[in-house]
Amino acid sequence: MEELTQIGLKLAGILLAFTVVMTLVAYTVLAERRVLGFIQGRLGPNRVGPGGFLQPLADLLKFIFKEDIVPDKSTRFVYFLAPVIATVAALMTIVVYPFGPDIHLPFNLPLIGNTIPMVVTRFDVALLYVLGVTSVGVYGIALAGWSSNNKYSLMGGLRSSAQMISYELALGLGLIGVILQSGTLDLYTIVEQQAGHLGISGWNVFWVQPLGFLIYLIAAIAETNRVPFDLPEAETELVAGFHTEYSAMKFALFFMAEYVNMFTVSMLATTLFLGGWNGPFVHQLPWLGVFYFLGKVILFLFLYIWLRGTLPRFRFDQLMSFGWKFLVPAALINIVVTATIEWSGLFDWIVNLFHLKTQTGWWG
Amino acid sequence: MTALLFILFAGMAIGCAISMVAQRNPLYGAISLIGVFISLACLYVTLAAPFIAAVQVIVYAGAIMVLVVFVIMLLNVEEEERLPLRLRSLVPIAVGLASILFAEAAFIIFFVQASPATPTSNTSDVGLTSSIGAGLFTTYLLPFEITSVLLLMAIVGAITLARRGGLLPPEIVVVPGFQVLARDVLDPLAQPEAPPIVAHTTEEVEKQLGLEGVPHVGNDA
Repeated sequence: MEELTQIGLKLAGILLAFTVVMTLVAYTVLAERRVLGFIQGRLGPNRVGPGGFLQPLADLLKFIFKEDIVPDKSTRFVYFLAPVIATVAALMTIVVYPFGPDIHLPFNLPLIGNTIPMVVTRFDVALLYVLGVTSVGVYGIALAGWSSNNKYSLMGGLRSSAQMISYELALGLGLIGVILQSGTLDLYTIVEQQAGHLGISGWNVFWVQPLGFLIYLIAAIAETNRVPFDLPEAETELVAGFHTEYSAMKFALFFMAEYVNMFTVSMLATTLFLGGWNGPFVHQLPWLGVFYFLGKVILFLFLYIWLRGTLPRFRFDQLMSFGWKFLVPAALINIVVTATIEWSGLFDWIVNLFHLKTQTGWWG
Repeated sequence: MTALLFILFAGMAIGCAISMVAQRNPLYGAISLIGVFISLACLYVTLAAPFIAAVQVIVYAGAIMVLVVFVIMLLNVEEEERLPLRLRSLVPIAVGLASILFAEAAFIIFFVQASPATPTSNTSDVGLTSSIGAGLFTTYLLPFEITSVLLLMAIVGAITLARRGGLLPPEIVVVPGFQVLARDVLDPLAQPEAPPIVAHTTEEVEKQLGLEGVPHVGNDA
């Protein structure tokens, strides 16, 4: 009975996290269209509901009622499997991100008790879990390209697998600096370590990791196939790349997977580099942490949209040489520098001198 | 609960493994193998070894199998045809080996159940990342280093093999951004055996075709 209650609570937590993330993802799509419109000197969708607020709902209805076309010569099973893999792999990581600190209630709730954790599950290797699940997401795109039996799709799928394998390496190496400093792979502990004056001075991005942050940011944009690294779906060359032959809800699944991926890499960046839920007055009012966390994630999403409105696309050989000849060596240098500083104890000395990573005083 | 999960994932692993061997299409085989790896990772989690599980997914499912799928897609391997079975003499040997394997498994299961409960002292930190790291860099340092040398040798070997022979003659250097165009694509009057045009920009192509000074069509005309 006790076990069943625990499973039920976990499922409720997953459902809640899923709902929050999916709602924000739907509005990211709307925000992208409005912001891009603003950048390009036009209005963007503003007809459905006040200021276009109900546009995501209208889009969803449209996707559901569109005709679902399956190419005659496609490999049926894989063709159906690919969008499922892409979406599931994208959604699976949201359970490990700490959305906020534990919230203590003055009274007891039935079944839950008086402490509500703002993370669905905590475990020893959360960071590795995130990297592993993300790397499985490649199959969604690669198999979609292969099973469509269309040369543009195949080219898009091949490009995307080559790109994702290359940038995964830089992404993982860029994170090693943070792991070296934190000494743990548990995301909750990494966030807790970043508390400091006003919840800001302890952020990892300020502590030896600006280079790691930059590498992670660039590699994450490439991992999610966004501008300027959106070669798998470069419409000037490949029609729509790997999802050329997909329509209706199956296309919507790929679309959703891309935006959920954007959301999860932003959550990881926030957690590891920008202090997660840390911010002013979180110590007194823990629920503020949820808003800080989501606020930082939304800043990242805005950065994505901004880049899309600003930058042109890379050429494929530029993409590859940038990944292998610049990002990977830079990440290796970052590891050596971080390891040296950790070993010399210089970093700990400065932090202890100014109490930068501990919560001090009433503002902590 | 744990037993239920074990049966679920073990069944998935065995099913995927059988499917991997039985599939005629190489890509389906590769997908089945990914299924095996992921089911095994789930089994590791139930056995309190989350680090091994994560590494299993990252290394095998996320890196090695992506390359395998990539190669299958690049080569566009067709479904293999059912050839008449050669080496028929090996079938009885295979059956014999399989029966030995089953006998071993049955033996182990029987004796584990017959023996009293194994002493599980201090297993709380066995699968954790820090204990694995400490073990790798203290007790098992030498095997760890030897493994890394082995991996380095594999990389060096791969590069040596890739550089020897290959598709292009050794004096040709491939520069990214260079365009090689067959001459008859640009110049319909050219002889088919005329040397191809190698250039970075449109201006260079014009120079090689002897078209300098000819007005352009379009915006800059």
